[in-house]
Amino acid sequence: MSVFTSLIQKIAPIYPQAKRWLHSFNGGVFPQYRKELSSKQPIRAPIIPERLIMPLQQQVGQPAELLVKVGDKVKKNQLIARSSKDANKALVVPIHAPTSGTIQEIANYTLPHPSGLEDIAIIIEPDHRDEAIENVLQVSGKTPDTPQQLKDILLNAGIVGMGGAGFPTYAKLPKEPAKIHTLLINGAECEPFITCDDLLMQTEADAIIQGALITANALGSTKILCGIESNKPTAIKAMKAAAADTIIEIIEVQSVYPMGGQKQLTQELTGIEMPHKAHAVDIGLLMMNVATFAAIYKAVTFGEPLTSRLVSVTGLGLAKPFNIRALIGTPFDTLANAAQPKTELNYPLIMGGPMMGFSVQNNQVPVIKTTNCILANPPEPTQMQMPCIRCGECMDACPINLLPQQMYWHSQAHEFDKVEKLNVFDCIECGCCSYVCPSHIPLVQYYRHAKSEIKEIHAEEKAVALAKERHEFKLARIEREKQEREARLKAKKDAVKKQAAQSSTTGKPSSTPKTPNAAAAAAKAAAAKRAAAKNAAKNNDNVSTEPEKTENNIPAARRKAIEAAKQAASQANDSEGNVMTPKEAAKKAAMAAAKKRAQAKKAETTEATDNSVKTESEATPVKKDPKQAAKAAAMAAAKKRAQAKKAETAEATENSVKTESEATPVKKDPKQAAKAAAMAAAKKRAQAKKAELAPEALQQSVDLTETTEPSAASKKEAARKAAMQAARAAAKKRQAASGSNTERPVNKEDNAADDVDSTNDKKQQAMQLAKANAAKKAAERAAKKRAEQAASDSSEESN
Amino acid sequence: MLEAIFIFVGLALLFGLLLGYASIRFKIEGNPVAERIDKILPQTQCGQCGFPGCKPYAEALAKGETEVNLCIPGGREVMIEISEITGLEPKEMEATEEEDKPKEVAYIDEDLCIGCVLCIKECPVDAILGATKLMHTVIQQECTGCEKCVPVCPVDCIDMRPIPLSTRNWKWPEPGEKAKPTEPSAREHS
Repeated sequence: MSVFTSLIQKIAPIYPQAKRWLHSFNGGVFPQYRKELSSKQPIRAPIIPERLIMPLQQQVGQPAELLVKVGDKVKKNQLIARSSKDANKALVVPIHAPTSGTIQEIANYTLPHPSGLEDIAIIIEPDHRDEAIENVLQVSGKTPDTPQQLKDILLNAGIVGMGGAGFPTYAKLPKEPAKIHTLLINGAECEPFITCDDLLMQTEADAIIQGALITANALGSTKILCGIESNKPTAIKAMKAAAADTIIEIIEVQSVYPMGGQKQLTQELTGIEMPHKAHAVDIGLLMMNVATFAAIYKAVTFGEPLTSRLVSVTGLGLAKPFNIRALIGTPFDTLANAAQPKTELNYPLIMGGPMMGFSVQNNQVPVIKTTNCILANPPEPTQMQMPCIRCGECMDACPINLLPQQMYWHSQAHEFDKVEKLNVFDCIECGCCSYVCPSHIPLVQYYRHAKSEIKEIHAEEKAVALAKERHEFKLARIEREKQEREARLKAKKDAVKKQAAQSSTTGKPSSTPKTPNAAAAAAKAAAAKRAAAKNAAKNNDNVSTEPEKTENNIPAARRKAIEAAKQAASQANDSEGNVMTPKEAAKKAAMAAAKKRAQAKKAETTEATDNSVKTESEATPVKKDPKQAAKAAAMAAAKKRAQAKKAETAEATENSVKTESEATPVKKDPKQAAKAAAMAAAKKRAQAKKAELAPEALQQSVDLTETTEPSAASKKEAARKAAMQAARAAAKKRQAASGSNTERPVNKEDNAADDVDSTNDKKQQAMQLAKANAAKKAAERAAKKRAEQAASDSSEESN
Repeated sequence: MLEAIFIFVGLALLFGLLLGYASIRFKIEGNPVAERIDKILPQTQCGQCGFPGCKPYAEALAKGETEVNLCIPGGREVMIEISEITGLEPKEMEATEEEDKPKEVAYIDEDLCIGCVLCIKECPVDAILGATKLMHTVIQQECTGCEKCVPVCPVDCIDMRPIPLSTRNWKWPEPGEKAKPTEPSAREHS
């Protein structure tokens, strides 16, 4: 080895590229390091600047969310921004106040980013007291045993990779224990000018070693390798001393740029070349920067979050370069001015080294967690870019064996798919190719541009795929909705047709029954009515319109009773299992029946037409809410019932007394009350007919009462039967009534009662008509809207 | 002579059967040309081509029923690719937009929105969220920038805004003499 090395050293003056034989990866360059500018200086005493600028986003991933507001007093290490989302998904690291002070402003400030974009930052005005919260992370000082424990601490400490990329460290660590067999410590620091890691290794070697041991312990790694470039002998010595008697092996590596690259140092230390598109973690390796390990040690042992870091302030434009433990958020120019610039700092400072760093857009930008160097190199005249001469130097220098020249040609021609095929995403943007290019072509800039473009292309492809998917889904949804609407419309049409058929025969649309039982009753009733209507039509051929109207109303009046029974039945069905409600429902039915009776009595004293007008006017306000109408009717019935009772005592016909007296005991037994409706109906029929039909109906209803009296469970059935009975009786009555059409004046009282019933029925009829009208109107409105929309669509298209 | 006839008739039958089987076994559903065209179309579903969406336009193109230069969001690049696929003569774009119009997404002024749901019905990708009489808003990630919702708004509360530049969507500029930092070439070779 040493013979080989000395031989190479001899050849190097004649053939400089011979030095590339000494390291395991391809290429690499040997720039002027100029590390002595700052490495010889001791670490400068900390500076607390006039203000600290804390951008909410300091690393890759998402910005953190504010926890403070303007005017708040903060202490050192206090949490001022953190993630509200799941940190494992969002890649957010919290931000802590680097010193004590006041939140002066929360505003947009220029980021230390090549774009020079602005983003929200917290401005802290330090009070120079530097009051700290000790152990803000509340650690026990115990070494974490599982990766998750360590990850939690690292997340709370806001530690990111401090070598440059700034990937959140907690996210870098694997969850599974013992996945990492070898932990790698990156102390290479290959960029020219930068010496912060060198100084850190010299001064805080113990912290680094302890941090590495803590990490290895948590992750279950059995091997720790540390690579340090040969141009840092003091650091190597210090590290070796600190690592004595531990599993950490300090390896001196060749000084070549980019030795500090993760892939390059991994290959140099372990001989493993990182596979394409694989992460080091996938092959059981994990590399972190020395500064990251030091931060881990401080977080785990003292609960100190990451609020400061070593920064090299160096460059040819500074008279006294130095390294400093700078607070995160310190503006660049504060530090650069402290290093006594040779000329005024009217040129942009560089964040990072001369190879990979970038010029900041504004010298006020703050130090962030990834700032390892502030470089003040006075601008040199840029060398003219010449055409590529295809010398192939870039290819020889490329540390990852890419074809820089090919990639350059294609990215110049915007053939980004070809650039991607040449694995431009494996490019670490080290700048070796640009450095060696005799034509001074800024090759790295082309690759960066190509990468941005390719990323955008992929993002767009994704967006296009998403748009297509969503559009297709929308079309499918519209189609489905259309079908559903058609089906609904068809069902509605059928219903309307049915209703129309019914209303043409009865002059009244029947309400939709809620339960099968009620439905059966309704169907029966409808059938009976139809039959009755036929008969009526037959007989009404030579009758004037006025009698016909009353004629039509008489069966409707019968229907009222049916409806009441039906309602009782449906309510009884609806509230099955509930003991109270069926009783109430039955009561209601009884009340409805009683109501009719009451009205009949009223009719005796007052003019029937007056009543009808009154009920009509009563119906109008109610019809807006058909659902409540039924309730209102029931309530009205209750009221009327009271009246009826009064009327009963005052003047009662034989029939009505009989009905009342029979109905009253029934009402008192609510369980049987369901039958009351049927009985009442039967009574009314009896009133109307008076003849041979009445006893029959009465008997029927009495029979019914007897059969269902003992069983509460059978009341549903009974109610149904009652409804059916009522319907049947109504049909019979119809027949009788139509047959005795001319006898009407004789049965004046009964007719009057029926008239009242009919007015009452009219009320319900009006309500139902209103309901139908409302539905119709709604349908019309919808249709109109649709038509309008179609019209507007077509007009737009024509536009 | 006879055996030669037998051999060739036999071969003809054999290949005929093979082809017949293959045509059934490896039958391709749908129109592959239309699918290829649909793939390169920008899927904004904007309807500026006169078809109700990108797919109907692609299908019409595959049948040769329409012109190649109707996709306005796709621009010249898409037109050239369509003509390459269909073999139709490339035509200059008629309604040329300014070349490097950055991608815009719809933005609803939520103070003005009256909750009429007209834009929701119009959106081809269901990127607008809202309900009747309730404020609407645009899911920016899913907006294709087709501008279909802009004219239907009765209160003009929708406008198209470029996506704000942040460190996440910032692109490195192209080096060299070419002055324009951002080229409209994003879709060039997708």
